[in-house]
Amino acid sequence: MMDLKKLASELPNRYVEEARERGTKIIGYACLATPREVFDAGGFFPYRIRGMSVTRTELADAWLSRFNCGFCRSCLQLALEGAYDFFDGLVETNGCDHLRGMFENWQYAHPRDFFHYIRVPHLTNQDSMDWFVEELELLKEALEKHFEVSITEEDLLAAMSLQGDIADKLRRVYESRWGDEVRVSGGEILALMTLEGSAPAEDFSRLLDEVLAEYPSRPPLKYRARLMLGGSATDEIELVSELESVGGAVVADSFCFGGRIFRGEEPLDGPPLRRLAHRYLYNLMCPRMFDDYARRKAFIDDLIERSRPDGVVLFHNKFCDLHGVENVKLRMDLEKQGVPVLTLEKEYGAAADIGRLKTRVQAFLERLGK
Amino acid sequence: MSGHAVRPGEGLFDRISNLVRVILRVKDDLSDEEVEGLLRALPADTRRNIEALLNPRFRRESILFMKMIGRWVVEGEEAARDPRRRTILVPFNFPPEVIYVFRRGFPLTCEVLTTLGVSMLEGQGERYWDYAMGLGVPDFLCSSSTIELGSILSGCDFKPQALVQSAPGACDANSKIHELVSHLMEVPQFILEKPTEGGARGKELHRRYFRRFISQLEGFIGEELDEGHMREVLEAANAATDLYYDFYELHKASPCPVPNIFSLFTYGTRFTSWGRPDAVEMMRAMVERSRRRLEAGDYPAEREVARCVWLYIGYYFDFLGFFNWMEERGITYLNDVLSLCQPMRYDTSSKQSMLDGLAEAVFEYPMTRQMGADSMSALWVEDMSRFIRDMGANCAVYSGHHACKQTQSVIGQVRGEINRLTGVPVLCLSGDSWIRRMTPTSVLQEELTSFVDHVVSKKGKRGRRSEQEKTRQRQGG
Repeated sequence: MMDLKKLASELPNRYVEEARERGTKIIGYACLATPREVFDAGGFFPYRIRGMSVTRTELADAWLSRFNCGFCRSCLQLALEGAYDFFDGLVETNGCDHLRGMFENWQYAHPRDFFHYIRVPHLTNQDSMDWFVEELELLKEALEKHFEVSITEEDLLAAMSLQGDIADKLRRVYESRWGDEVRVSGGEILALMTLEGSAPAEDFSRLLDEVLAEYPSRPPLKYRARLMLGGSATDEIELVSELESVGGAVVADSFCFGGRIFRGEEPLDGPPLRRLAHRYLYNLMCPRMFDDYARRKAFIDDLIERSRPDGVVLFHNKFCDLHGVENVKLRMDLEKQGVPVLTLEKEYGAAADIGRLKTRVQAFLERLGK
Repeated sequence: MSGHAVRPGEGLFDRISNLVRVILRVKDDLSDEEVEGLLRALPADTRRNIEALLNPRFRRESILFMKMIGRWVVEGEEAARDPRRRTILVPFNFPPEVIYVFRRGFPLTCEVLTTLGVSMLEGQGERYWDYAMGLGVPDFLCSSSTIELGSILSGCDFKPQALVQSAPGACDANSKIHELVSHLMEVPQFILEKPTEGGARGKELHRRYFRRFISQLEGFIGEELDEGHMREVLEAANAATDLYYDFYELHKASPCPVPNIFSLFTYGTRFTSWGRPDAVEMMRAMVERSRRRLEAGDYPAEREVARCVWLYIGYYFDFLGFFNWMEERGITYLNDVLSLCQPMRYDTSSKQSMLDGLAEAVFEYPMTRQMGADSMSALWVEDMSRFIRDMGANCAVYSGHHACKQTQSVIGQVRGEINRLTGVPVLCLSGDSWIRRMTPTSVLQEELTSFVDHVVSKKGKRGRRSEQEKTRQRQGG
């Protein structure tokens, strides 16, 4: 298989260079609540902001404090260093308190000409749904007005169809680990999932074709135990690879840079933006949503049932309130079901933390009798 | 006691309840000798805060405040025992009058209970915090809610019949710990989200959420809102509001006639008793005391050195070392974001106008208003700059409660903007507002002293010198 990890660690990557040459406008976004189909439909390249495991955050620390999560500080650091200067615009969502702060400081200290805020509700009910539909309409209008483009229903339907095809292909690679033989590592899958947000849809679809053609001929990986991962925003490919190096094959995850990308089906009828709004709002599977734990738990139960991990490792980034608390309840519930769980707090991107985390995972594998 | 498991009868609420029942028997005024005797009987942690409260400069008002809180705690406990009533734990960013408009509903405010525990109990709130940590709750959560909720999680304390969660969108830490307690303790939760959009569209969505929320509460409490009772409660709230603005004006005099600790009393009153006659009595007492001090020119220090607006919250684990210590050194605590709550008068002409007013009150409640806005910094800067100018403050302090990820994430901007707009210097401290283990009082005092001596005072002298120079130039000198 091509070096997915290398491709995923480039900033800017070759897709960005090609898009710039074509004159395609690139819009930065950070959160899974952002429906990328709206950008695809307008001919934009939506690029999902990542922290790239950056740990030197001195520029960001002048704005965000050390009590804010490392992922957001790393993203802001890259922005202030100019690494994301290829963005023609920036779209904020109120994913969490840290993310709001990151965007607010970004736009204050290093503003983009186009800045739009999608206000995502925290509840799923009819009022929230109607609001979110309006928010997507406002996003579409803002893009149309600023970039002088037109986004038609047909464009949206075509973009939704293409994303549906991509999800099908991505799912085939992702779920290939659910049999006894695992041929794609968790690190590679995480790389592929992050590329979903850093390549234009057509390019990513072609990349998936290559991956699908290549992986079945690979020899199975050797492993001691099957693991599922979950928790805070984790795009740290090296971290997952390092953890796998002690013998735990990652067969599934519930990261927002991972398994949560597979949103449920959208309703089949209704205007495209309403269908998108429903699909995104009701399938975020993020602890930022309230009164929605049962749905998140069912999502994780389903992943566990189908991927058959020997144990689950739940991470939270230091200062991540959402996952830090969610993991307490998840651990209790999963352990009641007889699923072994290891909860780990991590400092985002910190190479110095990897040794400690590996030791904990090694001990967990021993606890699993593997 | 910290580190011990919580045993039945040792929960935070139960201990507070026992203590306030004693306080309710205390005379409305105590002599110095009686205070001396009382303090000798108290354990060390309790003594330091009670001693601060019983300072002769505002002893009567402190006793009035403690009794008001005492009645509130006792009634909350009794309401929970009464099968016809419902005691609902609400967060601090939620107006209690929303529950008082129900005859059978009673609000207990989570963060006020934590503050009571921290300020009145031996061992402060540490054992309840430690209990929550023992469950795996992360140590960067907010102690303001986690201490009281940790006590509930122990299963050995008073348990409310429902929770209100009113911070989604404004504070993740607060929302998530409430959600966890609701799940683990099987306490129903009622969630009210504030849309971040602050214009007409956001307010309309919020009104729809609020109507749904009230309807859920009506079902849970088993009572349809009665217009007459609503009016009675909201007119009492209006009376307290009127006094609030009288009180606000008094802060503008220099030296400030309002004792530092009255800031705490203001939100203690706002967060527990707004809509009850108790709040009116408390606000009136604070206005009267401050007026008397103004007329007499009383100020506890030789001169007022620093007029300080606290941009967010204060510290609550050592009243003596915080509020009184500052005041005695000429450092005036000119309110913080909570006491600058700017309550609104309710239009009590109809049930609908009252419901709309309540929705508006939730929307504009302190902290929700600023942190739950489109921009976390914009309204915060706007509000605080206005207060700084209005109060004639010459400095501002951010307490840096570590769990406040929203304020922590924009304080860099806010500090710069406030300095640019008002010219006052801003000190950023760091500490846990409810747990003394993180930054002890002595360190906070050193930092404040250094700020006041080296920045505020010098700036004031420079400012005065520059004025004198300008005057000389005008006079041709």
